Amino acid sequence: MLESPPRAAAANRPGLPEEGEARTTVTAPPQLRAGPGPGGAGTAAAVIQTDALTKRYTRAVTALDGLTVAFAAGITGLVGANGAGKSTLIKILLGLLPPTSGRAVVLGHDVAASGERIRTLTGYMPEHDCLPPDVTGTEFVTHLGRMSGLPATAAKERAADSLRHVGLYEERYRQIGTYSTGMKQRVKLAQALVGDPRLLLLDEPTIGLDPAGRRSMLDLINRIGAEFGISIVVSSHLLGEIEQICDQLVVIDGGRLLRSDTITSFTRVSQVLVIEVDEGGAALQAELAARGLEPRRAGRGLLVRIDGDATYDVVRDAVADLGLPLNRLEQQRRRVEELFRDNGDEQDHEEARDDG
Amino acid sequence: MTASDGALAQAGTGVIHDLGYRHYDGPRLGRGAIIRALYWHSLRSAFGIGRGAKAKIVPFLLFALMCLPAVVNAVALAQNHGQPMIVFYDTYTYRLRILVMLIFVASQAPELVSRDLRSHVLPLYMSRPMRRLDYPLAKLAAFTAALLLVLEIPLIILYVGTIVSASGGSEVWAQTKALIPGMGVAVLWAVLLAAIGLVLASLTGRRAYATGVIAICLFLSLTLSSILIHVAEPGPVGPNLVPLSHAVAPLGARLGGLISPFTVLDGVRQWLGGTHPGPVPPPGNIGVLYGVMFLVLLGACLAGLAARYRKVGAA
Repeated sequence: MLESPPRAAAANRPGLPEEGEARTTVTAPPQLRAGPGPGGAGTAAAVIQTDALTKRYTRAVTALDGLTVAFAAGITGLVGANGAGKSTLIKILLGLLPPTSGRAVVLGHDVAASGERIRTLTGYMPEHDCLPPDVTGTEFVTHLGRMSGLPATAAKERAADSLRHVGLYEERYRQIGTYSTGMKQRVKLAQALVGDPRLLLLDEPTIGLDPAGRRSMLDLINRIGAEFGISIVVSSHLLGEIEQICDQLVVIDGGRLLRSDTITSFTRVSQVLVIEVDEGGAALQAELAARGLEPRRAGRGLLVRIDGDATYDVVRDAVADLGLPLNRLEQQRRRVEELFRDNGDEQDHEEARDDG
Repeated sequence: MTASDGALAQAGTGVIHDLGYRHYDGPRLGRGAIIRALYWHSLRSAFGIGRGAKAKIVPFLLFALMCLPAVVNAVALAQNHGQPMIVFYDTYTYRLRILVMLIFVASQAPELVSRDLRSHVLPLYMSRPMRRLDYPLAKLAAFTAALLLVLEIPLIILYVGTIVSASGGSEVWAQTKALIPGMGVAVLWAVLLAAIGLVLASLTGRRAYATGVIAICLFLSLTLSSILIHVAEPGPVGPNLVPLSHAVAPLGARLGGLISPFTVLDGVRQWLGGTHPGPVPPPGNIGVLYGVMFLVLLGACLAGLAARYRKVGAA
């Protein structure tokens, strides 16, 4: 059995109209900016709508600060640095944590009044490890299926299905303690999926995974969103990672909304290509400048803003013409903060090296 | 074959897709059914059912041990008709019963709650359509039921073993009348010990620590109580908890039993009319104190459990 790799589809997905699914993706609320947001943004398309949502743990600690934002159907990235309020928001949306003020509506239900109803319709994958080591994957997911309100036989069937969908086959009869990190993340995803939710809240699903593991986890999430017709909120502190699979991005910082937009408007301004050559970096920089790009140095590499596929061609030709040994050519993964700085800034792009 | 299968086939991707995601449109059970499912799951795990063979050794060994006096009684009565019962319903063999229950609670209560804490699985329960206190409620009900099984089944064996040797309807009736308060006492035991065991086990996610904490708490308080009883009670006493024969024990001895859950339970039994000798001297006019102490202990454990899980869920 083969894993489906909808990589190509994922890359240029925002442009592609989906085939006749029950998805109303492209009606994302346009240009919803921070600040006292438009109250009328709670359109029918919004899966989640928050209104001046505030959570204070103590007088000094404010996790969410007047957050007003709408999440459309489809895959939404919830991006923010660690401590930005992502996990707090997710817990409020599940009705597990009462907000200090403001309100939130999930799938048409108010979190304060109908937490149970929301949790029937929602699957949640926590950030941290939450698996007992001495139970098999099947037993665990079946039990949590029952906890989602499935009758015994249905829970068994759905558990087998969900585990298969996340790519666990024979392994599911083994104890979870013997699983790799990637397999454990898949079990966590399967238990969120077992109750056939209409909405999935995934808290940092790629955390702790190696690059290959991250990629296949993102593929999986993309598939669930695109093919299973389930709306998904994926939180991450790495923007570059989840932007590949999202229809919409919500960026929060310090409990406030920084920006909420469809993915296309983000990527247009933010795509950067990293080029690394073993030697002749200066020559390449001059050559690229001569060809109309604006390369700048960052660490050992050169950064070039991506302006469509043509940029790749220009870079390839420049490298080939100079006969340089190309070491690396890839789209850069950026940190959230960088999004809001001028692209011309000189930064130390450590994140880019994480992949190496 | 779903619609998207067809679409992909047309797109000619040439990849075998394992799609076929089926939405679930069967019945969804409510909160009550979820609590019941968790209850059954927990009751089974109290006896190690659904886990490996090793997990079953301790609970079933203890259970067998607990049944032993009832079996011995039945054999003795069958061989020697007319002999009076050697084991009573209300006290059973209290020294064995205390020992078995102490070990059972200490080893199995962590099985129900500590392992979930250890593996941080609680957020997964909390994100499901149940309320915050449903989890401890189901666990408490399950553990109480488990203790009831361990306490009551030997009584029933005792009853059956006795009436098969009985020589008439009136004797059977007398046995039945004695069995009922005995079973009532066992209910008190199960309710109190389950609450104590779970609240202590819920303090830590490490099973071994939880077992240690429970065992130490129960054993130390029991030792302390029996020392106080014996110090205050002059006269011939054997090692540990030998029944005291005096009609009215000194006040110190009667108060001494208020410290340990096991002696509190015995005090309540005698206060409610139990006459067979137990580890506590007849409390006499302070019997009501044992009743109050029982309720205070139980209330404190339940409140502690609720407070514990209110916090865990929010974290």
